[in-house]
Amino acid sequence: MPQSASHSRLYRIESRNGAAALVLGGDWGGASRLPTSQRLVAELVAARGDSEAPITIEGHDLESAHPRVAALVYAVSQGLHSREIAVAFTGLPASVSSLVALARPPAADAASGRRAHWLTRLGVAGRNRMEAFARAAEMVGNAFVATPRLSVGKAQARWVDFMALLRETGASSLPVVTIVNLLIGAVLGFVGAVQLAAFGAGLYLADLVGIAVAREMAAIMTAFIMAGRIGATFAAHLATMEANEEIDALRMIGVSPFEFLVLPRLTALTLMMPLLFLYAAALGIGGGMIVADLVLDTSPASFLGRLQDAVAARHFVIGFVKAVCFGILIALASCYLGMRAGRNAAEVGRAATRTVVVSIIGIIVIDAIFALCTNALGV
Amino acid sequence: MAVLDRTRPPDSGVVVRDLTLAYGSTVVQHELSFHVRPASIFVIMGVSGCGKSTLLRHMIDLEQAAQGDITFDGQRLWTENVAERRALQRRIGVLFQSTALWSSMTVGENVGLPLQLHTRLSAAEIRDQVAFKLALVGLAGQESRMPSELSGGMQKRAGLARAIALDPDYLFLDEPSAGLDPITSQRLDSLIMNLRDALQLSVIAVTHELPSIFTIADDSIYLDNESRRAIAHGDPRALADNAEHARVRAFLNRQSLDASTRAEGDGPEFPARSEVL
Repeated sequence: MPQSASHSRLYRIESRNGAAALVLGGDWGGASRLPTSQRLVAELVAARGDSEAPITIEGHDLESAHPRVAALVYAVSQGLHSREIAVAFTGLPASVSSLVALARPPAADAASGRRAHWLTRLGVAGRNRMEAFARAAEMVGNAFVATPRLSVGKAQARWVDFMALLRETGASSLPVVTIVNLLIGAVLGFVGAVQLAAFGAGLYLADLVGIAVAREMAAIMTAFIMAGRIGATFAAHLATMEANEEIDALRMIGVSPFEFLVLPRLTALTLMMPLLFLYAAALGIGGGMIVADLVLDTSPASFLGRLQDAVAARHFVIGFVKAVCFGILIALASCYLGMRAGRNAAEVGRAATRTVVVSIIGIIVIDAIFALCTNALGV
Repeated sequence: MAVLDRTRPPDSGVVVRDLTLAYGSTVVQHELSFHVRPASIFVIMGVSGCGKSTLLRHMIDLEQAAQGDITFDGQRLWTENVAERRALQRRIGVLFQSTALWSSMTVGENVGLPLQLHTRLSAAEIRDQVAFKLALVGLAGQESRMPSELSGGMQKRAGLARAIALDPDYLFLDEPSAGLDPITSQRLDSLIMNLRDALQLSVIAVTHELPSIFTIADDSIYLDNESRRAIAHGDPRALADNAEHARVRAFLNRQSLDASTRAEGDGPEFPARSEVL
């Protein structure tokens, strides 16, 4: 006598003389929620008990042969097979049977989803870090070796690309550099003016703005802009080239990707960054001068006169050298991360983001090192 | 092979009527008309640049035609009713030429995403469906792998699993065998025919791979890139011997056309290419 273990229009589990059966019925196309395969497998195993007989999946009562039936039958039979329980089909619509027959179970060695032991993962991660460090060091080394070749015109680079990069990093960056540095100078001037005026020392605003802009702000703000604008562009461009196998194609025609792609970018940014710094410093000081005129009634002539006394050339030299270092950092980071990106669309975006993050952190670190060194040297 | 009991209207299948494809003022193909029978494989063939993929992009509603109409089981593709249009799109599965698997997702997520977005299935049932669809294309157990970890043939099959995720009525394949070795290509052809039989799919494939054309096609159309018209329609095996146009016979028999062959039997004259609308 069949023993009903579950009452449902869509399925029921029966136990017949120790042999369990899954009896499917009703219209599966219209059902909003179906039983999960894990649940059915668990119920079937419980109904089977200690019996060695195969579990039967019956479909006599099905009103439609919706594809969902085939998916569930396959999942249940796979779940039972994984527990080494034999399965027999009876009364299933022919279309369901043919679909289930077409589905091929996983290969015995398919262990792709299994995670490796944590020690293995740690070792692999450590090795990957070491390799990444070695590749980064190799790129820095290449920069030292190849730059002289570019300067004597022996590098495998195209002048037309180099000139385009100079325009992209230099002239095309002027509008955003202008806006940001003018406003930074003005903000610095305004904050300083309010505080200094309280002590009757408004004239010294030129000292504050001049030293802060020349020594720190112009170089840092310009570097941030270039990291976001140029660094991300370089990384995304090179990552796309990597994804499209364009870099491999360069290697195959005997062209060094470093000389052809990295060197022009490195040189262009290293040349343009200090020039942009000088431009940014002038604008920052100009912003402070405008505020001094408006808030403190300090004439531009008085401001510039005080500036000449207060800001020594060494402050500009420090900012200038920093700008060169920032340019090298942004170019190498963007090219390195772009060329090491994976070969898919997501990696392109990731390379651009990483470049900006790495560049910003690097800029702050380099600035801190400069601060320590100049302090120690008393400059 | 058994048939899934899906109810189909009398004018079932895909009907293309007087379809003219154009980019701006440049006509790609003139006045295409053909009928794709239900549960059959229809091949759109022709040489590179003849507008095969453009026709496919129009048929899956990625482009709208300059003139003409397309119906699926009597329902117009370019209807003004957005809900109807969306519902029809859900009945269409597409395998793109580059597979277009989302590279930031695992294979399982690629197949499961259409189910998450378009059905109210539980997470457990989606998992079962994904496992089943991957098993159907011979990729059982590969759910957690990234597309970049798969070979070209496996990527094609993963793309196919995604295309059939929503149990579509119509399956569009853009150059399914492109870039695959002959053995993998043959397996993919068998898989496409098995899926047609098991799921009762109407398959529309764009290809110029002759072995695939002769293996899978129940019916076909040849798009000519000189006259910019369909100049042959029928079973490609028959067209290889009996096509009216020498260009079709040359294509299907992999022969080059010399001037004498052209003069001998190039069929009726058509307007020159790139005619302006």
